[in-house]
Amino acid sequence: MAGVMKYGTVNDKILEELRGIVGDENVLTLPHHRAIRASVPAPFPLHRWDVHTPDAVVLPGSTEEVSEIMKLANNYKIPVVPRGGGAGLADGAVPLRKGIVLDIKRMSEIIEIDEIDRTVTVQTGINMQELNRVLEKLDLWFPDDPASYAVNAIGGRIGTGGWSLIGAFGGHVPDLVLSMEVVLPTGDVIRVGNGGGRKIRKSSVGFRLKDLFIGHQGTLGIATEATLDVFPRPEVEFPAFFGYKSFEHAYENAFKMTTSGLRTIAGVVLFDEEKVEYLRRDDEAYIPQPKEVKSIIAVVMYGTEAEVEGAKKKIFEIAEKDGGMYLGEEISEGDWASRHDRYALPLHGRRRSDWQVVPMSWHCEDAAITHSNIPYVRKRWHEIASRYIEKYDGIFDDWGMFMYSNPPFRPWGDYLTEIDIGINEMALDEETWQAWVNMKREIAEVVIEVEGSISACHGGTREGDVEVCVRKELKDGQFELMKKIKRMLDPNNIMNPGKYMLDEAYEEEG
Amino acid sequence: MPELLSHKEFYEKTLKKDEPVPEEIAQDCYTVFACRHKFCREICPVYQETRNESHTSYGFHSAILSVSRGIEKLENVKDTFTYCLECGACELRCPNTLFGGDFYKRRTTTVDLVRKIRRDLVSQNEKPAGWEEVEKKIDQYKGYYSSTPEEIRQWARGIEIPTTGDTVLFVDYFTAFQETVTVRLAAQILKKAGVRFAVIEKPGITLGELYENNFNEWLKNAEETVKALEDAGAKKVIVVNPHEYMYFVREYPKHLGTLPFEVVFITDFIWDLIEKEKIRFTQEVSISATYHDPCTLNKHCGIWESPRKIIESIPGMEYVDEDPVSQWYNCCGNGVASFKELHPDLSYRIGMSRLRRAADLGVQYLLLGCPHCKDQLSEVQTKSRINVEPVHLLEIVAKAMGMEV
Repeated sequence: MAGVMKYGTVNDKILEELRGIVGDENVLTLPHHRAIRASVPAPFPLHRWDVHTPDAVVLPGSTEEVSEIMKLANNYKIPVVPRGGGAGLADGAVPLRKGIVLDIKRMSEIIEIDEIDRTVTVQTGINMQELNRVLEKLDLWFPDDPASYAVNAIGGRIGTGGWSLIGAFGGHVPDLVLSMEVVLPTGDVIRVGNGGGRKIRKSSVGFRLKDLFIGHQGTLGIATEATLDVFPRPEVEFPAFFGYKSFEHAYENAFKMTTSGLRTIAGVVLFDEEKVEYLRRDDEAYIPQPKEVKSIIAVVMYGTEAEVEGAKKKIFEIAEKDGGMYLGEEISEGDWASRHDRYALPLHGRRRSDWQVVPMSWHCEDAAITHSNIPYVRKRWHEIASRYIEKYDGIFDDWGMFMYSNPPFRPWGDYLTEIDIGINEMALDEETWQAWVNMKREIAEVVIEVEGSISACHGGTREGDVEVCVRKELKDGQFELMKKIKRMLDPNNIMNPGKYMLDEAYEEEG
Repeated sequence: MPELLSHKEFYEKTLKKDEPVPEEIAQDCYTVFACRHKFCREICPVYQETRNESHTSYGFHSAILSVSRGIEKLENVKDTFTYCLECGACELRCPNTLFGGDFYKRRTTTVDLVRKIRRDLVSQNEKPAGWEEVEKKIDQYKGYYSSTPEEIRQWARGIEIPTTGDTVLFVDYFTAFQETVTVRLAAQILKKAGVRFAVIEKPGITLGELYENNFNEWLKNAEETVKALEDAGAKKVIVVNPHEYMYFVREYPKHLGTLPFEVVFITDFIWDLIEKEKIRFTQEVSISATYHDPCTLNKHCGIWESPRKIIESIPGMEYVDEDPVSQWYNCCGNGVASFKELHPDLSYRIGMSRLRRAADLGVQYLLLGCPHCKDQLSEVQTKSRINVEPVHLLEIVAKAMGMEV
């Protein structure tokens, strides 16, 4: 393959050295240990599982151990792929050149909670729900709320530049990480933040290097420790679900909600007509909804009791303007409480020809799209999906779309716009996999057409997406600069090689 | 009684080394792999200590899927499959169970898969490291089984109990020979409440380890136990050990069909007696306490209400509740079958985490509903000196009834 470096092999000598660094029990070599760390929840080419299975898995416990592993890998030119919760949707943790998977989940200590300056410092293998279990005893809250809330690792959130469902209230990962310790591909350890302050939220000193180490998909280093912003726990969480007689009504109404000026709005979520149809397949909350409910808005508000009480009244008034029907407390609270895991069961999958259940994996194709472009993107994406489903029935399925208000600390402007596609991985072969990649490419191209970004939160590293991302979205000099930075920080291209087509940086060097 | 959504007959055929994994098993494992969101992970008490995702429902199902795809050999997974307490948290937390289980009448069955793989590998002489400890334990129970009826009845010395009757208190060998306090208290409480009950002379060996070591031998023993109860005239069987209760309501019916008697857990039975005012609490028990839901009772059988109702009705008690769903996260560390024999250190760490969570609530006592939890957490408390006292809730019931404990 052009541009691929010659890498060393993970032989017995290297395994022995790794065991010396992290201990015998934290180096895993049996095939099943390696195979289960080959994939993430994004669709996976099961028919060539072995291609992505790493040579070894290491489970380090500290920054020092990570640094030693990186020095060793850099010395022997062994690829290293960092893995957090393994919950990413852009293949960030999927090895493309084998090597070592460096799993950070053993690094899960809370190092310091600062109740005065409102920060928490953690090792990055900790999960947000685990962290909040401790913080809640002090009435504190880390407001990062992705679908993978219960399973993600903070380090993975940093590596993917994660997005929070309630970001209009508390911001997203790039806003919530104040500073962090990063192990570079050479094994050097640096701290990046807002200027040099560990707990500072705004500074004008130096380059904004912290941002460079957020969302790089493990290509530039491994965050091992992070100082995070914490919020007071809000007094009230108020979710409300409204039903509309068409997507257009819901869409109009979402504009009114997001631009209402209500500061308590933490997120506004649109369910399109295909999504509601999909939920009526088997979801006991949606089957009994009256048939005129064709599209839904879920809005959630956070704040003090006084703030939310006032805002509630206003939101009901706004909903009414476009005929929004309140779906009741049970759905609003129940669905909101199960928002992280309700909508994507493998058994939701159907074959269109006979409506048989076909277990499928859930693929979430997300993009950042401005409000004005949503109807066009929605139409085009469903058309693309239908075309492929028609040709490959039982392999692909359209599970409808969600659109979430996306910007940090404000609900208006652009939306994380996602189409959910079911994909039957057990039946994949090279032809259907390529069809899948082509479908993704077509979906991504629509985003470029409307000047969006092909991923609001997962990353642009997947097969199908990545060419569009690099050649089209980042074409005006950004990708060129990315390659220079990559080569400077990772002289041997060992950090998650192959991602973002960054192999090209080394090809040009000759 | 829980619905048997989990009965997958295709688990019953032995998975053989060097033979292809049947399509049904591969599809079953794929349904967990397909999710890959891993809600089964952070909730797992083993993972919470090892932080190794091979030791999770996702890990187990994916490992077998990798065998089906020719990436791994079946025998290589034998040690990985010992890292499961069989607590059942992952099955419940799996979105497939939680949101689709009722609708599709099919749920994730990690515990059954783990038992199956252990059993299938042992039957092909592929024994995990340390399995001789499990075999020793089985031999020990065979020794109990060979004891005289008087020896088996030692736990009840001084208490007159017939061997036949409508209502039978089921006493397994663990509670007859090892953690004997709990069944003795149960018998005394029932006597004081005026309940007429019998205890059979000799049950079969109902040990979970046997279920994983040799299915046919376990099944023979299960049949013997059910027959002995039937022969004793049982219409209603009261069970004190929740592990046994789980086998009675979830496992025996899978293999033996509907049982010829009703099975009731002791706390449900006692709560009924309290409601009928056959048990009256006359003494204050002035302690502060929280309650630990036994995995087999809460996660496997959905019984969490009656222990709480009993505790809340005890006068003088300062009770701090941790809800049963939050407690999916917990285990005492003993596990249902072979875990503690194979991983004593890990078992101890899990036990310490459980005691610490209770101590963090600022209570003096951790109330228990299971003799295995009692055995395990008492040992952990003695070694670790974590400042919370594990005590079986029947002891508190007896005290509140004014009995000498």
